[in-house]
Amino acid sequence: MLFPTLGFLLFFLVVAAAMALLGTRFAAKKAVLVVASYYFYAQWDWRFCFLLAGSSIVSYLAGRLIGATAERRHQRIILGSAVTLHLGLLGVFKYLDFFVLSANNLARLLGLEHELPFIEILLPVGISFFTFHGISYITDVYRGDVSVCRDPLDMLLYMSFFPQLVAGPIVRAAYFLPQLARPSTEPIPIAAALLLITGGLFKKVVIANYLATGLVDPVFAAPTSYGGPDLLLATYGYAVQIYCDFSAYSDMAIALAALLGFRFPANFDQPYRAQRLREFWRRWHISLSTWLRDYLYKPLGGNRHGRLKTYRNLLLTMLLGGIWHGAGWKFVMWGALHGGGLAAERLIEPWLGRRSLTPAGKFVATLVVFHFVCFAWIFFRAEDFAMARLYIAGLGAGWGDGLQLAGPFMVALIAIGMAGQFTPDALFERLAAGFARVPSWGLGAMAGIAVALINALGPEGVAPFIYFRF
Amino acid sequence: MVAVERELSETPAPAAATTADAIPLKLRRRGGSPRQVLALTVVGTLALGLFASRDLPSWTDRLGDGPVAERVQALAAEWDRAMAALGLVEPHEALRSAIRHLLDWRWDSPP
Repeated sequence: MLFPTLGFLLFFLVVAAAMALLGTRFAAKKAVLVVASYYFYAQWDWRFCFLLAGSSIVSYLAGRLIGATAERRHQRIILGSAVTLHLGLLGVFKYLDFFVLSANNLARLLGLEHELPFIEILLPVGISFFTFHGISYITDVYRGDVSVCRDPLDMLLYMSFFPQLVAGPIVRAAYFLPQLARPSTEPIPIAAALLLITGGLFKKVVIANYLATGLVDPVFAAPTSYGGPDLLLATYGYAVQIYCDFSAYSDMAIALAALLGFRFPANFDQPYRAQRLREFWRRWHISLSTWLRDYLYKPLGGNRHGRLKTYRNLLLTMLLGGIWHGAGWKFVMWGALHGGGLAAERLIEPWLGRRSLTPAGKFVATLVVFHFVCFAWIFFRAEDFAMARLYIAGLGAGWGDGLQLAGPFMVALIAIGMAGQFTPDALFERLAAGFARVPSWGLGAMAGIAVALINALGPEGVAPFIYFRF
Repeated sequence: MVAVERELSETPAPAAATTADAIPLKLRRRGGSPRQVLALTVVGTLALGLFASRDLPSWTDRLGDGPVAERVQALAAEWDRAMAALGLVEPHEALRSAIRHLLDWRWDSPP
């Protein structure tokens, strides 16, 4: 069940009705949300609900056991076992066939004839996200950053809450569980939520979908059929597409959670305006980058043990961040590029200086970072490593023929997507504050008409979100 | 040895664990109730039903076979015809047509 569909609207209507009818009965509301979340997840494959429930039970029991154990050594054993279980599940479902393929390739190189069989397990949608939720909870309990969750219902809801279940944002236990302890007394920010939903729909349905079907998919499927200008524009197109696709999902998840009375953290903050790669990672998929920082980079030692170890830690963190996205060498390369880029940036920082840049310097820095990110996206988007190499080789050829595929409309979509990166920070707040004066029925009518117009502008049917496959 | 259950009286602040709220506090000071959320969802669904009826038949076609699905499909087609008679599908068709022109636009030919 995808957010931008009539099926989801009817589903949300039922959930909103239950929330309104249950009034102040908070426990009943949480139970309804758990049932709704499992129903939502079962729309992909009902069998995966058992996996989600199992992951929740492991996290819940591990948290209780850590809470009931006084000795640090025992707590560490419980933490290690639970994290291994979570990662083991993720490894089996997501990476087993990749390891089998890599082992078979290595065996062929060594002249061995025996090949391991492929298991071909269906990847459960959202497994990377709920696994990270589980690990974050157990680790936070071990560190003392969050109370032990005593109510199983709270744990089930934390792990399965439908707005973030399949594609994030990754919401930390320390952030979300306190919201389940008592009902929110804050009013529901209806205007801001509806702005996020309509803006997200426009980004996904119009910008991301047309860029995908009209430019990015055909060029990345056959890069040798196009010249350098189309390849370059498809690279920019993919940068805009993946931003509009993923940030749209995050915006809608944040808005849906807000309409149900919950807060979510920000996940994107105009990432392509970053002047440093480090800044890009403070603006892109913030919930993942902070997760990797707190549960991987810092435990590895962070920047506390000298320059060389800092570079190693950056590289390792980004490599694992790359593999988190998918089982394939192209993701390893994407992670290695970002890890290497972050390390190189640290290395040359003394020469770059910490002084604020001139406007021209800021422009050049933004341009350099954007193009580095775009270059790394080629590996991320290409079918495989070999296709990425063909694509990069093609960027230097065929410049005499001009644009063959990309028409003015595609260029306009890229321009609109990029313009969104440079709008003033206060624009959203001003718009939301303005719409907050409209009565809720009026907001509903406006949002309904806006969604109908966006639906008319978009192509027939809705493609799944890119991050569903991670 | 008796296990001592660690009780934390309140949730400690996580050390640099979280990021800022997506919707800033000042926008959360003014808002509505769950009943208002329900009301706006109902109104929004009705508005969508009025102005996006063109997509209703294709959506109901995906519901599958069976007497209930067939009845729903017939109702959706009937509803779409009624909206067309009222002229409410015109904005939808005008936008679809405009976007088709934009998609066909090439550098050497105007839209």
